[in-house]
Amino acid sequence: MLKLVDVSVRYGSFKALHSINLEINEGELVVLLGANGAGKSTIFRTISGLVKPASGELHFNGKEIGGWSPDRIVKAGIAQCPEGRKLFLEMSVVKNLILGGFVHRKDKAEIARSLQHMFELFPILYEKKDQAAGSLSGGQQQMVAIARALMAKPKLLLLDEPSIGLAPLVVEQMFQTIAEINRSGTSVLLAEQNAYAALQIAHRGYIIENGRLVLEGSSGRLRNNEEVRRAYLGA
Amino acid sequence: MEVELFFQQIVNGLVLGSVYSLVALGITLIYGIMQLPNFAHGHLYMLGAYLTLFMMTMYGFHYWPAILVSVAVLVLIGMLLERLVFRPLHNAPHINSMIAAVGVMLFIEALARKMWGSDYHRLDSPYEDAISLFGLTITQQRLIIIIAAIVLMIGLNLFLKRTVIGSTIEAMAQNREGAFLVGINANKVSLLTFGIASGLAAAAASLAAPINLVYPSMGAMVNLKAFVIIVLGGMGSIPGAVLGGYILGLAESISGTYINSEYKDLAAFVILVLILTLKPTGLFAKEAR
Repeated sequence: MLKLVDVSVRYGSFKALHSINLEINEGELVVLLGANGAGKSTIFRTISGLVKPASGELHFNGKEIGGWSPDRIVKAGIAQCPEGRKLFLEMSVVKNLILGGFVHRKDKAEIARSLQHMFELFPILYEKKDQAAGSLSGGQQQMVAIARALMAKPKLLLLDEPSIGLAPLVVEQMFQTIAEINRSGTSVLLAEQNAYAALQIAHRGYIIENGRLVLEGSSGRLRNNEEVRRAYLGA
Repeated sequence: MEVELFFQQIVNGLVLGSVYSLVALGITLIYGIMQLPNFAHGHLYMLGAYLTLFMMTMYGFHYWPAILVSVAVLVLIGMLLERLVFRPLHNAPHINSMIAAVGVMLFIEALARKMWGSDYHRLDSPYEDAISLFGLTITQQRLIIIIAAIVLMIGLNLFLKRTVIGSTIEAMAQNREGAFLVGINANKVSLLTFGIASGLAAAAASLAAPINLVYPSMGAMVNLKAFVIIVLGGMGSIPGAVLGGYILGLAESISGTYINSEYKDLAAFVILVLILTLKPTGLFAKEAR
């Protein structure tokens, strides 16, 4: 469904990504593991069109999407819940979600249905729907960010460190929800530092270090890999 | 009589403030989404006044249809500016857009001088009769300015808050990347914003023209004051622009009466110095992001 072929990204003279080859198949939940600054967010920003690749190709459902503008990529079916959430903090929760469905704005009934669905997925957001997004707790804001991305009805959902800064109990719920979203048919690419929890729900994974993908494999294989255990699972 | 004089000045201040607020709102909208201080805004205001004047004197339009034409043309000019001048500079260093804005400002003023001369023109409003209201005397035109400004501001507010397309302007001001990631097209929002802001400037100029004069450099002072207002209100803050506009209008009208009318234009700069000293972020400071 999504395929990155030899994608490199530069920030000025700094090469942030080196020949990344990455693939996500229909219905998969793929995890991208790596330390801070390894390049996870850069991969996400490149897929969403916020950063233009210096070289390489991005294919999504048979189309070459490298160089497309971000709004075109959302319309094609890729939505991102970004690092730092990037919510519209002064707007109400429900307005954030409605804007999340911006590409479907002409279909009012569809938007209403999606909203309903989001409130079922995150009941707490219904209680807070008229509050400014900025007044919510970190965990609740994270839910708004995920729900906002889902409102675009993506075929592929990119989740950039959704567990960051959340209490352990909330993290567990978050991962349950992500697994649920994936089971209902949305492919997911998940960037995480929390390798243990992520590998439990993912089908496959990639390990990124210093802008290079150094290892890939099924979740089971990664969990048993000596280096992964040492570096990411603390075993 | 003292009390009446005071209230008369309040009314005058509201008239001035209405015009300032409409201009400042346009600058604020553009600043909010592009971080561009549009130095040419006062000159778009000037173009708006000339257009209304010519529609009336040369083509015999009535006041209101003339304003409509002027607003429509300025919306178009605003969009053209965005498309032809500012969009190509989008990926260039920020200072380039600012320099371009100064260039546009000089260009528009020179063009106006060349085409229409440096003479001062009067725009005769059909609403010159004075009416009495609660013991105050006010011309219909001044009342129209106050009411029309309020109508425009309410309309703008409804558009920004209640429509999805209007919300995209606020979304981009609140979180640019967040807006991109939900599929909002930055270019379309910029185009829309420039159109609205220029249209507001034309409306403000057309409303104010009958109580002022129309001449090529009329935009310069309005521009300066509008920038004082957005510093006063807080850069990028919409309520700040509205409130700041009225504060400045009232300050000018009251200081002009009770201190010295020569010092009327000084009020803006005294306010600027005060706000920069006491609360440099402005009254409605946006939270740091």
